[in-house]
Amino acid sequence: MQTIVKMFNTDKWVLPYLRRYKKLLTLVIFLGFMTVFCGTALMFVSGYLISRSAQHPSNILLVYVPIVLTRAFGIGRPVFRYAERLTSHNWVLRLVSDLRKKLYLKVEQRATTIRQEKQTGDILALLADDIQHIENLYLQTIFPVVIGWLLYVVFALFVGYFNWAFGLLMLLLFGIITILLPLVSVALNGARSFKNRQLQHEVYVNLTDGVLGLTDWVIAGRQAEFVEKQTTLMDQQVKIQSKDMQFTWWRDFVLNLIVAGITFVMLYFGESQFGNSYLNVNYIAAFTLAIFPTVDAFQSISAGLTEIPTHQASLERMNRYDDLEVEKPIAANVNREELLAFKEITFTDVSFHYPNQERDVLNQITLPIKRKQTYALLGPSGAGKSTMLQLLLGDLQPTQGQIKVDGHDLNTLTDYRHDLFGVLDQQPYLFNTSIMNNVRLGNLNATDDQVKAAIAAVGLTDLVENLPAGYETVMTEGGQRFSGGERQRFALARILLQDAPIIILDEPTVSLDPITENEVLTTIFTLLADKTIIWVTHHLTGINFADQVYFLDAGQFTMSGTPQDLYAHNQHFKQLLDLDTGVVNS
Amino acid sequence: MIDRRLFTMPGIRKTLGMLAVLITLQAFSVLFQGKYLSMSIVTLWQQKPFVAILQTFGFFLVAFVCRHLLTVLKNYVVGQWVEKTITTLRSDVLKQVGALGPKIIQEKGTGNTVTLALEGIDKTQTYLMLVLIKMFDLMIIPWILLAYLFTVSWQEATFMLAIYPVVILFMIILGYAAQAKADKEYANFVRLSNHFVDALRGLPTLKQLGLSRKYANNIHRVSEDYRVSVLSTLKIAILSTFTLDFFTTLSIAIVAVFLGFSLIDGTKALLPALTMLVLAPEYFLPLRNFANDYHDTLDGKNALGDVLDLLSRPTLADDKTIKLDQWQADSQLLLENVTVGYQDSDNPALTIQHLALQGYQKVGIIGRSGSGKSTLLNLLGGFLAPTNQVGQKIMLDGQVVDHLQLQAWQKQFQYIPQTPYIFHATLAENVAFYAPDASETAIIEALAAAGLADFWQELPQGLATLIGEGGQAVSGGQAQRIALARAFLTPERRVLLFDEPTAHLDIETEMNIKKAIVPLFDNHLVLFATHRLHWVNQMDYILVVEDGKIVEQGTPKQLASQNGAFVQLVTDVNQLGGVK
Repeated sequence: MQTIVKMFNTDKWVLPYLRRYKKLLTLVIFLGFMTVFCGTALMFVSGYLISRSAQHPSNILLVYVPIVLTRAFGIGRPVFRYAERLTSHNWVLRLVSDLRKKLYLKVEQRATTIRQEKQTGDILALLADDIQHIENLYLQTIFPVVIGWLLYVVFALFVGYFNWAFGLLMLLLFGIITILLPLVSVALNGARSFKNRQLQHEVYVNLTDGVLGLTDWVIAGRQAEFVEKQTTLMDQQVKIQSKDMQFTWWRDFVLNLIVAGITFVMLYFGESQFGNSYLNVNYIAAFTLAIFPTVDAFQSISAGLTEIPTHQASLERMNRYDDLEVEKPIAANVNREELLAFKEITFTDVSFHYPNQERDVLNQITLPIKRKQTYALLGPSGAGKSTMLQLLLGDLQPTQGQIKVDGHDLNTLTDYRHDLFGVLDQQPYLFNTSIMNNVRLGNLNATDDQVKAAIAAVGLTDLVENLPAGYETVMTEGGQRFSGGERQRFALARILLQDAPIIILDEPTVSLDPITENEVLTTIFTLLADKTIIWVTHHLTGINFADQVYFLDAGQFTMSGTPQDLYAHNQHFKQLLDLDTGVVNS
Repeated sequence: MIDRRLFTMPGIRKTLGMLAVLITLQAFSVLFQGKYLSMSIVTLWQQKPFVAILQTFGFFLVAFVCRHLLTVLKNYVVGQWVEKTITTLRSDVLKQVGALGPKIIQEKGTGNTVTLALEGIDKTQTYLMLVLIKMFDLMIIPWILLAYLFTVSWQEATFMLAIYPVVILFMIILGYAAQAKADKEYANFVRLSNHFVDALRGLPTLKQLGLSRKYANNIHRVSEDYRVSVLSTLKIAILSTFTLDFFTTLSIAIVAVFLGFSLIDGTKALLPALTMLVLAPEYFLPLRNFANDYHDTLDGKNALGDVLDLLSRPTLADDKTIKLDQWQADSQLLLENVTVGYQDSDNPALTIQHLALQGYQKVGIIGRSGSGKSTLLNLLGGFLAPTNQVGQKIMLDGQVVDHLQLQAWQKQFQYIPQTPYIFHATLAENVAFYAPDASETAIIEALAAAGLADFWQELPQGLATLIGEGGQAVSGGQAQRIALARAFLTPERRVLLFDEPTAHLDIETEMNIKKAIVPLFDNHLVLFATHRLHWVNQMDYILVVEDGKIVEQGTPKQLASQNGAFVQLVTDVNQLGGVK
């Protein structure tokens, strides 16, 4: 309970948006109220109508108004409901557009840190789900609860208009249904639903672990154990869920007992208030029959409020993205043309460690990067290769030492980052849009001919033109319809259009088979011959393309030089290269 | 609406029988509840004192409480059956996944399999819970009420009977219209709704290209397009709910007005009229409940279908009669005329004319990606079944078998893939996965043999350190060494299957790990699929696979001396060569 209150207090994703599009929101609430109002009023008026008719009024005109009202409310209810559903969706979807933009911008600020985390895509897809949760929070919780409470107040006021004491009693009795029961329900179910969510997560992790290792379970002949290991947790979850359901059943039962009480009170109220007048007795049926549709509307309050814990995790996750402050680096005043014609980038005594960690990921690295040279960077995982690239791109700042472009500190050049650097990594993303648009992302001002020329340069013209939709073919699911080598070529075409002087190759061929790798590397280095290239690679295929080779281990260079020199003079390098070329000893 | 296979589930008939009895009782409770409420109101309307209704109100109260108690009972009856069924289904699904083995994961993907076993089962649970009760309510309650209403006033009862098919007809017609509209918009929907996920997934790339900020407005615009598209579909889609609402509410209004007229005429008394009015909403209630959850139910029906489809997949029977001795220096595996096919393709993925493996051969399987190397390994490992064509012959140690998915065979080998899976468990449990009873000393020796002596000693809790997802991070090279330690720990498994174990590692790690792998080869039959050609030096027999066929086989020397597929492959792989 307290966590929920706290959640709403610190929230920046739901409450601020209630103020936006206020008119539309008021309309949603109004229409929702009218829907439940018409339902109640229909039974009220019908009850009055037939009671009055049973007194054989001398003139049909005496019941004319109730007749018209009955029909009006009868038609009004579905019409209002229809309108309410459309407007509430309209409102929520408008909100979703805003939320998506906001969330995107928040994530964008930390895109580089996200990149380090594993399974980036899945984490991000989870965020998209979170927005869905907020959508449901409005449609299933906030709207029905507000509308229900509104009806509650209006109904009690109406009874109070006839007799204030009974009005108060109704306020109290209906209060049990609309306020007390839902709150008790949230308090009791909240803890269970929290436990359930935890279990759910455990079950998920556990099963994923089992399924990923299924081959091992099968070969080890331990399938039975695999099943048993999964079911223990799952059974626990089933128990909690069925407790949850049983609670709901009995809660609804108690709710209905209260309804029976209300009916009794209402009959008593009717008798004492209207029983002594021949004309007024007709209100007894009216009031009594109105109870049932009213209670129907109240039932969605409990249901809506108990949904809150399921949305809680999403809200919390999204609010975490809010706490982030990004400092804006100082921008240097440099001439763009001069900068792009730089002569040298230098790492001088650069060290780096993550905050709260002692170990240096990079330890006093010095590296001069000369214009139009190719540098190959090798080393085991965790050696510091990626960190070097992130420092170069300005995603991380050195904790010691400096990185300079012709004397300008790299820190001050953030605005020129995309003019300076092009990146081709292991899995460049291909967007769910046409081939043409995908390649054009390299330079939005490129003409169709320029885009086609870039596609031709990477050797994909035949492939693309033979597709039924040609250049307009849509790349679905990250370009799954193309092979790994083809996807790298599309990304390369993008880089060609971007035309930055420095290209960072972050293991672009790691997932390709050796023959495709050979072909892609040849294309890359032929097309990028006049660029400065920093190439992180995991083995030595194509090492001849590099002017300088650097081996990095534990944050320091262990071996460096031209490949030819190293091969001639360094026994270790020779061994590695021989292994790599797979010289078959006969 | 209903999957027929639902009615073949154990215990369903008994549950449905009890449900039908409870619902019938409930229908009568509803009936009496309405009747006595009307009687109470009429008594008060006749200006009698309040005490006059105490008895009738008491009857109302009993009926009312009974009705809601019966709801709880109904839920318990169905709930218990659902719980039992779901538990069985879930463990059946897991058993089936275990029986189908890695093949099913390759086909469906890890994510889909997990989703099916968890969400699929959850949805099935909701579905079973909803559909049985609502369907039986709809089949029983309105008709008992209607029968009674005919005795009260046949004119209005006839109207209510007549309106029923009209409502359903309209709902069906509008349902189809909405479906047509939704189908037309479907592609658009998918594109627009995936756009956001697409943008988030591609964010690092956008940032590299310097477009990430500009893209925010694009997101808003596309999302607004989505809103417009959704609303235009929704306008039609919710028309069916509108119709239901419209007809049922209007029917009540019409009944009220009819009743009013006949009351004024004096042809009817208040009590039957009021009873009619009170019971009219109850008559429509089951239909409304059923329609409200219609979409959830459809979803659940599909989920149940998926689960049942998975369960009905044929699994290969483990032939327990096959007894195998431990693989020896003179053991033999022979394959003749064996093909492996894929479900959706006529062309076999792999055809083997003749392949004989014996003793402690070291067999290298080489070929380009997609040539069929992995298929061959999967066949030999018993993860894929051969098509069992005429003339097929698989002989294992002199015994003819149909396929290799045999416990007796799988107990003989170790499988070391490109990225071995590390379980979320302790290091010791991970190493001893194939020999859960191994002693600590044995585990330590295996770790040392795999070159992990320093690694485990530096771990915070040594052998008891949790590794794998969420535990201590393990690099690709270390994961590979843990797999090797598993193999060192089970020397009785004399067959080793390697699938490209070093291709993802950096060259120095690869060289170091190779030193740990080679000693493992002694006294083992080794099957080693790779395109890292330096391994050829450790092999004494090579299979060259191309387009799903073994195009060349022989010792490395033989193959190197003939100008065939092997020589061509070596040339292709080494196109770029070393240093010039």
